[in-house]
Amino acid sequence: MDPELINDCVHCGFCLPTCPTYVLWGEEMDSPRGRIHLMKQHVEGTPLTDEMAGHFDACLGCMACVTACPSGVRYDRLIEQTRAEVEREHVREPDDRALRELVFQLFPYPRRLRAMRLPLRLSAGLRRRIAPRLERINPSLAAMADLAPETAGRPRLPRRVRAVGRRRAVVGMLTGCVQGEFFPRVNAATARVLAMEGCEVVIPPSQGCCGALSLHSGRPEQAARFARRTVAAFERAGVDTVVVNAAGCGSTMKEYAEILDGEWAERARAIRTVDLAEYLVELGPVARRHPLPLTVAYHDACHLAHAQGVRSQPRALLTAIPGLELREIAESAICCGSAGTYNLFQPEAARELGERKAERVLATGADLLVSANPGCTMQITSAIRRSGTAPIPVAHTAQVLDASLRGTERIA
Amino acid sequence: MDVPHENTPRPGAEEVLRGPGAEEVLRGPGAGGAMGGLSAKEALRATGVTIREAGSGDAVAGVMPRWVALPESTEEVAALMRVSAGHDLAVVPVGGGTRLHWGNPPERCDLLVDTCCLNEILEHASGDLVVRVQAGVTTESLAETLAARGQELALDVPLGGATVGGVLATAVAGPRRLRYGTARDLLIGVTVVLADGTVARSGGKVVKNVAGYDLGKLFTGSYGTLGIITEAVFRLHPIAPARRWITAELPAPRTAATGSEGSGSPMGPGTVEGSGFPVSPGAVGVALAASQAEPSAVELDWLAPSGVLTVSALVEGAATEGRAAAVRDLLGGMTGRPGTTGESGEWPVGSYGVAEGDKAPDWWGVLPGEEVLLELRVPPSGVDGALRAVARRGLPARVRGSLASAVLRIALPPETGGAELAGFVSAVREESGPLGGRLTVLAAPHEPAPQVDRWGPVGTLPLMRRVKERFDPDRRMSPGRLAGGI
Amino acid sequence: MTLDELVRRVAGVLPPGAVITDPVRLRTYECDGLTHHRVVPGAVVLPESAEQIAAVVRLCNEYGVPFVARGAGTGLSGGALPRTDGVLIVTSKMRRILQVDLENRRAVVEPGVTNLAITEAVREHGYYYAPDPSSQQVCTIGGNVAENSGGAHCLKYGFTVNHVLALEIVTPDGDVVTLDADDPGYDLLGAFVGSEGTLGITTKVTVRLSRAPQAVTTLLAAFENIEQGGQAVSAIIGGGIVPAAIEMMDALAIAAAEAAVACGYPAGAGAVLIVELDGPEAEVRRQFAEVERVCRDSGAFELRTAAEPEERAAIWRGRKSAFAAVGRISPAYIVQDGVVPRTALPQVLASIDRLSAEHGIRVANVFHAGDGNLHPLVLFDDAEPGAGERAELVSGRILDLCIEHGGSITGEHGVGVDKSRYMPKMFTDDDLDTMQLVRCAFDPRGLSNPGKVFPTPRLCGEVPGVRKGVHPLVESGRAEQF
Repeated sequence: MDPELINDCVHCGFCLPTCPTYVLWGEEMDSPRGRIHLMKQHVEGTPLTDEMAGHFDACLGCMACVTACPSGVRYDRLIEQTRAEVEREHVREPDDRALRELVFQLFPYPRRLRAMRLPLRLSAGLRRRIAPRLERINPSLAAMADLAPETAGRPRLPRRVRAVGRRRAVVGMLTGCVQGEFFPRVNAATARVLAMEGCEVVIPPSQGCCGALSLHSGRPEQAARFARRTVAAFERAGVDTVVVNAAGCGSTMKEYAEILDGEWAERARAIRTVDLAEYLVELGPVARRHPLPLTVAYHDACHLAHAQGVRSQPRALLTAIPGLELREIAESAICCGSAGTYNLFQPEAARELGERKAERVLATGADLLVSANPGCTMQITSAIRRSGTAPIPVAHTAQVLDASLRGTERIA
Repeated sequence: MDVPHENTPRPGAEEVLRGPGAEEVLRGPGAGGAMGGLSAKEALRATGVTIREAGSGDAVAGVMPRWVALPESTEEVAALMRVSAGHDLAVVPVGGGTRLHWGNPPERCDLLVDTCCLNEILEHASGDLVVRVQAGVTTESLAETLAARGQELALDVPLGGATVGGVLATAVAGPRRLRYGTARDLLIGVTVVLADGTVARSGGKVVKNVAGYDLGKLFTGSYGTLGIITEAVFRLHPIAPARRWITAELPAPRTAATGSEGSGSPMGPGTVEGSGFPVSPGAVGVALAASQAEPSAVELDWLAPSGVLTVSALVEGAATEGRAAAVRDLLGGMTGRPGTTGESGEWPVGSYGVAEGDKAPDWWGVLPGEEVLLELRVPPSGVDGALRAVARRGLPARVRGSLASAVLRIALPPETGGAELAGFVSAVREESGPLGGRLTVLAAPHEPAPQVDRWGPVGTLPLMRRVKERFDPDRRMSPGRLAGGI
Repeated sequence: MTLDELVRRVAGVLPPGAVITDPVRLRTYECDGLTHHRVVPGAVVLPESAEQIAAVVRLCNEYGVPFVARGAGTGLSGGALPRTDGVLIVTSKMRRILQVDLENRRAVVEPGVTNLAITEAVREHGYYYAPDPSSQQVCTIGGNVAENSGGAHCLKYGFTVNHVLALEIVTPDGDVVTLDADDPGYDLLGAFVGSEGTLGITTKVTVRLSRAPQAVTTLLAAFENIEQGGQAVSAIIGGGIVPAAIEMMDALAIAAAEAAVACGYPAGAGAVLIVELDGPEAEVRRQFAEVERVCRDSGAFELRTAAEPEERAAIWRGRKSAFAAVGRISPAYIVQDGVVPRTALPQVLASIDRLSAEHGIRVANVFHAGDGNLHPLVLFDDAEPGAGERAELVSGRILDLCIEHGGSITGEHGVGVDKSRYMPKMFTDDDLDTMQLVRCAFDPRGLSNPGKVFPTPRLCGEVPGVRKGVHPLVESGRAEQF
């Protein structure tokens, strides 16, 4: 925990209303300002108590506070450093430890995740039987089961997708772990949209987890290992720009140069990471947009809006589709509670935040919810399902664009 | 604590103070230090302030003081108060005397401190839009001075001859309260003299100031019970280049008997047709207040419960034409009559038209009556109900006041009897209370007054008492003038 | 110990988890927005209703323990600084908007609701809550009431006190009382607003909602120097125009804002003026032409105008970021808050310049020019020995200047603990003793936020003023002293 970074905080409190846990509980210790104060206490010699660790663990890492901070405090760096410190110093309860171990041995590994997906797709009867246990461990695991596509297997992505028409650029594409396993169609749509906009898309098969989950959970070594592997994979693919469609992955990859040292930092710097929406707006449209008569509520994923500052671009892309009406969700800057592994470790807070978000999403009366992050999608959908309301269809920005570009009414 | 006092000392009684007991006490050692040995009157004279015997015109709500002092500075007021403290004199400050008959009669009154000679405009910092005045300056002379430099105190005091101090002590305001607020909103600094002669100041000469407690607010509406206001500083506004009044008549309420407009007796209790008003005055007020044409005031005049209602809105600024037109259209739309522009100062008679001109209606900002005067405040949504409550009593009430701010003054005929008035007050309170209404008797003849609860229930009474006890522990400042005998 | 026992009993009247005693957690409440005063509270409580606050306050009375109210903890004068021997009552869980009543243009809210949340709740209906302190997205309405908060737009629209219609408060002895603007008699509502938590705790606020103006236009004018800017301000006000806001920044403040948010103000400007006009469209158009003319006549070399929300936000961005932005050009700084009569601005700014040169301390000036409210940012390097002291000195001298020119030691940040020592410079003993009478009326035991606002408060038993000894009527047995 860097005391210099801690001292940048002038205690103005502008972060408070943007912090999901402060929104829920209204307590100083569970606000960014309070957590920085706790970090300061620790740096100044107060031992890491259970209480302190609890407040750090309760942080979603949504980075809304980073957006709100007028003094430019690097809370993102601070909480990463703090989490690593907690992992090093703090002895957790055995149950908590076991769950964490399970998650970190499972989620960052697509193949293991795929193996788990199968039992989740068991018969409806079996699913009902395991549902209570899944709910207890984590509502979003149960949500995953529901969300996993029923038909059509995972569309295989080729190593290279040719540009439609004149080639305007060559880009790499990250497939991601959760995105790749649970939302494979999003990746297919992303590749198609890029191609239709004149990009040759390179998809290295050797890529794995980008390291986001580990980084955001105080496991910097694991994160660095994944980061190096990802950099190497795209170097081998011969691209200097990587387009990412998952918000959490994109924000981590943009930080590679800070996570890695020396030569690896340089190598990371040589590869530019861009979010899909960011890239498409930058590139400008060439493909024709076909009308989609839809009302759409756009959800800001924290790691897109706060960590990467990408807010206007997805909205611009959506509103450029003829016939599409965009509706804003109230409290759009507040996290939905998914936050990477948060819903695994802080299920109650995550559930409350999910319900809050679901309520506001439903209040828009939109036909379709659009989000650029798989975690958010699962989180909000499961909250809506729990509320007993008719579910709202969910899609990634890429899928909506894909439908418009291809002129299909159906969002794949 | 209740010190036994005679309520009305004999006018002209000189050295005899309040019976032999008091005489002894006051002449005793320690009764005011250097002043020991002097009679109260001698001591007052010794301050160098002009003192005269009270005359018949000096009565405060019927209670006759013994002496009248005419101080010329804050220091002189302080000297008078020190003497009064030493001789246990009850003191009532008076400005223009225009509202001395308002409020309860004082329990006792020895000395009237007339602020007429505290009449200097001390500083008009026009560049800062601020004026500092002595409390005895009349609002008219202040307006004249300010107008010379294109500025005004945006407080439409409803009575001629009122002084700044009196306006603050009674917290009266006129039509433009809607846009500029009332005295407490425009007062930025105040100097007061307390019962023991302490001179205290709060606020200052700058509008933006949060240092210390705002004594000015506390003294606003205090009816002289906390001390004497000797100086005030106000924030000013530039005088608007143009003013236009848009006036419309709303049809008289339907009556129970006929269900027709404007005929016969006022609404009886059986009236159940909508609000009883063919055009809801409350809705008109709400709509005008919400208009982006931003009227500065919206006033109502209702001369009799069976008669038509007149609504007039003031638009002031540099570009009033379009705004006036917007108000006209709004009024015309609500009253169902197309807007017609009348010649300046001419008001159509006998038709429910909408007129516009650059002169105020002659009733604008004038109290509907003097001797029996009540004030009814209600949230704007309760205006219709409150008006209905007034009309139902069957008394020839005249209602006039701020429709948009929903502060209405009700005048009843001077000959209204005590029981009649008490019945009116309690019935209107009962009916308007659930609407959030509050009825205060501002003025009533002293004879029927004792039967009337002037203030109604006041939730803050315990706190007000505690403030009074701290500022005036001996109850010598206008004792009993306010609610709850404060 | 008294406090321990009190805390045990307080826990009995509050929901589970609403009492904080863990030392690590308590320390996060040790200061508000002014960080150089720090006191760890004896206990923190997080009540959820007026009844719970009243219960806590009554227990504090029973044990003679002081209490301090806190909202979001954004105050800049240490008004919510806790007491080690006391209880900190935090209203951050009381944040419901209880009622929105557009017909009567009012809303009823709990004290922990943020200032901006009120506007957000009514914006779609064309209304807003007028006072707009620059921390409006964070600061709570309860805190606004305590501090009588203003904001950039208070030049035209006034302060919190002008927009609060009623308050429910818990008095220092634990009664729940409603103060209403329509109450006859003393304006207790007006006296309570701005009393910095020393007269009780706000538990419910009825605010006036204002109709959104038909048009809003913002002008950015760049001048070569601050004198020209000041001249423009005088000419605007002198011309009979009351803008919604007039803000000014000097070259150093502009440089800081540029470094922080790249606000893109005209290059080479020695001062920028932001003038915002609002109201009926025709009115705004006419006044705007006048303001533009005045600015040109005063020497403005570049004018930018904006009528759309995004463009206006772009102009305001530099101004709004100014405070936090100076962190980018200086390792440490003091934000001062003082007021002078508007016409004294040129003189006072010149004096501040001299002070700055004399002590080798840079001062960036950001101010609400329309009402003479200065916010000098006194910059220093805390690593340099003696610099902090010199900055303190300059900062204090600026307040002296304000007093000398008939102004005030605080326009909006409040007195708190930070400025109580300046109160005797602005007020006489008699003034302060008289204010103390109000304090004693509300809080005779001095338990509500003691040690704030007033330098060395007398005990309420001590009678200030000239009247000494026993009153003759009391002595003679004809009357009783309370």
